[in-house]
Amino acid sequence: MKRLFLILNLVLIGSIIIGACGSPTTEVSSPEAPVTTTEPVASEEPILTEAPATDKAKVVVFVGMGTGTDPDQIDAQMELQEKFNSTHADIEVEFLIVPHEESGTRFLAMVSGGTAPELVGPNGVETSATYLDLWADITPYIEAENFDTSDFYGPAVELNTYPDKNTGLPLGLYPSFIFYNKDLFDAAGLPYPTHDFADENWTMDKLREYAMQLTLDANGNNATSPDFDPTNIVQWGYDDSWEGMRGVLGMWGAENVARPTTADYKTAIANSPEWVYGLNWLSNGIWEDHFIPDLAGQEAYGAVGNDPFGGGLIAMFYSYTWFFAEGLVELPFEYDIAPLPYNQKGARISRIDADNFTISSNAANQDAAWEVMKWLTDPEQIVDVCLIYGCIPARKSVAEEFRSVLEERWPGLDYNVVFNSIDYLDNPNHESYLPEWGRVEEALNNSLGMIYSGENTNAQEVLDQVNTEIQAILDEYWAGQ
Amino acid sequence: MQTANRKPLRMAKREALYGYLFISPWLIGFIIFTIGPMLASLYFSFTDYDVVNPPTWVGLANYEKIFSGIPDAIRTQSSEPLGDPLFWKSLQVTLYFAMMALPLGLIVSFVLAILLNQKIPGVNLWRTIYFLPSVIAGVAVTILWVRIFNPRIGILNSILDIFGINGPGWLTSPDWAVPALVIMSLWAIGGGMIIYLAGLQGVPTDLYDAAKVDGANLFQRFRNITLPMMTPVIFYELVLSLIATFQYFTEAYVASNGTGGPVRSTLFYNLYLYQNAFKYFDMGYASSMAWILFIVVLVLTILVFRSSQYWVFYEGQLRGRK
Repeated sequence: MKRLFLILNLVLIGSIIIGACGSPTTEVSSPEAPVTTTEPVASEEPILTEAPATDKAKVVVFVGMGTGTDPDQIDAQMELQEKFNSTHADIEVEFLIVPHEESGTRFLAMVSGGTAPELVGPNGVETSATYLDLWADITPYIEAENFDTSDFYGPAVELNTYPDKNTGLPLGLYPSFIFYNKDLFDAAGLPYPTHDFADENWTMDKLREYAMQLTLDANGNNATSPDFDPTNIVQWGYDDSWEGMRGVLGMWGAENVARPTTADYKTAIANSPEWVYGLNWLSNGIWEDHFIPDLAGQEAYGAVGNDPFGGGLIAMFYSYTWFFAEGLVELPFEYDIAPLPYNQKGARISRIDADNFTISSNAANQDAAWEVMKWLTDPEQIVDVCLIYGCIPARKSVAEEFRSVLEERWPGLDYNVVFNSIDYLDNPNHESYLPEWGRVEEALNNSLGMIYSGENTNAQEVLDQVNTEIQAILDEYWAGQ
Repeated sequence: MQTANRKPLRMAKREALYGYLFISPWLIGFIIFTIGPMLASLYFSFTDYDVVNPPTWVGLANYEKIFSGIPDAIRTQSSEPLGDPLFWKSLQVTLYFAMMALPLGLIVSFVLAILLNQKIPGVNLWRTIYFLPSVIAGVAVTILWVRIFNPRIGILNSILDIFGINGPGWLTSPDWAVPALVIMSLWAIGGGMIIYLAGLQGVPTDLYDAAKVDGANLFQRFRNITLPMMTPVIFYELVLSLIATFQYFTEAYVASNGTGGPVRSTLFYNLYLYQNAFKYFDMGYASSMAWILFIVVLVLTILVFRSSQYWVFYEGQLRGRK
């Protein structure tokens, strides 16, 4: 009996060791089964079950850093993959879909394991900035081919241009503007916000004035009424709480717009007068004028599927074009979009999100990756690609084509607002590069939390404090260089 | 005579060999998946390692950064003066939580076990009901509690409202976020309760009978019999809970969406460690934090063990003294 146990035990140990040392299971990337394993995938090994053609250069497109992981998007990307592979004899594209939460770790594991994906995207400005050292410079390709970039919106090209490299061809833009609930404006007897970009009466003060009249307590009193009960608000006039500190304060006209440092990234300037003004405007909007929900008030969104605008809780919601697909689904009220108002300095700075694809600097098939990048952003393709990801194509030549698609999907909106907002983008962008991007963002958003939670409503104090914190982060970073 | 001596020795050796063979699957796993990563993290704690580039040896720099902050030479006037403030903040949050959650969890589960040790109708059903929540834990339960704590639409504030109490912001309030997590931690006391219950049922009934004969009342019986007899179980629970408290992560991560907010009020030690490792990709620093945590927990556990000689009563030990 003992001998039997001994044999069984040896077999068990043997199988554990063999199992541990064996080759990893082949991953299957399919629309139904997004890739979720944590082991890096060797680029030489097939991800698809189909046998790859051996003479083709493989381009793994790593998706998950930004959008692209929803089931319908996965389907569409598989179609795109098939379309490319059926029309190219020398390159094989393979979309590797990774859940967003693990995308950063997974990408770094692949890079450190020597199996960096050829293309990564769609990336927001944030992703491009966070992993800036890991992207290849596409300038040599552009110069070698004399590649014409004039069809791209100028600002879109700028967003990918850093002092020492160009990270990628622009794919799409997400301009921002005010979504407003026409029914709530009608009920309050207010005129709709202007759509005229030249109308200088449309200021942040005017927005505040409207927003207070659109803010109601449970008894129906608005925020201008002496009977208004701020402890029992059921509808707010304005909200921008989905945005981080840099996005919220970039609109107020500071010299470095949405960047909390000087241009050389060595000195923190998060407590600039414009940022203090902007944060004070926000703080007063929450705690004195009550037209912006505080942190506890935002919890009411849970009752309406976490969609404050679609749930009818917010009269004016500041967001981007990506909110179309997310928030404008069968809404039970009339709505439209308006430009962001002018700030206290008489300027309009309407922040923008953007997407691109980047080439990993230590990927095996970079030349092939460049070809795929060009194909994805080609006028022939870019509308289809942007329809998958929800962005406005970064090419001017397809603007009208895309506009008609938008008009068909969300009829009745003033699309001039969408396209004109591109001209007022924030530069430096609210997601642009910073040394120690994550730590600086954490410090800034912690400060924003102080205002929203009421922990400290003094904008000057909050920004002075975070400025000190950012300076320490910068000092440490530069000391290590 | 010599042969007779050799036989048991060979047998003992063979049995030892069998023993090692039988536990070898676990041993191999322990060496590969626990000792190996531990040693690797010890090495990384002395390096600057961002996952992508090979680790660079920096000696004690990571530890120095934690305790002394950045070197004076590079510090500007406005820089933070002492150590990594977020390290100390995370330690403070964890200790604050531990000071509330640890005694509360031990007391509530013990009291519950005493109640469920009484002869009451349907006692097995009650035991099952109180134990069940501990089976479901982690992310799902935290999401459920986030909903319960919602200051606007949560059931907790709705109930408080019935009694005319204006409920706090719970997880949205920097002051109430940790107390909310302490309340949430009571969800899983069923596990401890079962262990206490087993301990209570092991207390010899003749001790109670003798005490009754001597005229001891209920409180005296609890104070002089139940409590001393249960101290080994309390000690066991204390050690396990202490270690678990310092490893608190999932609930804080889910409740704050990984930020440690609002205003860093739920920035637990392990959450900050995680942020350093997987958000800022500073594996060297995160590894040094992990080793400091290991030492802190080790020291506290040793202190608890040392203190046990003053308050833990072992029945056998007493007999031995006799």
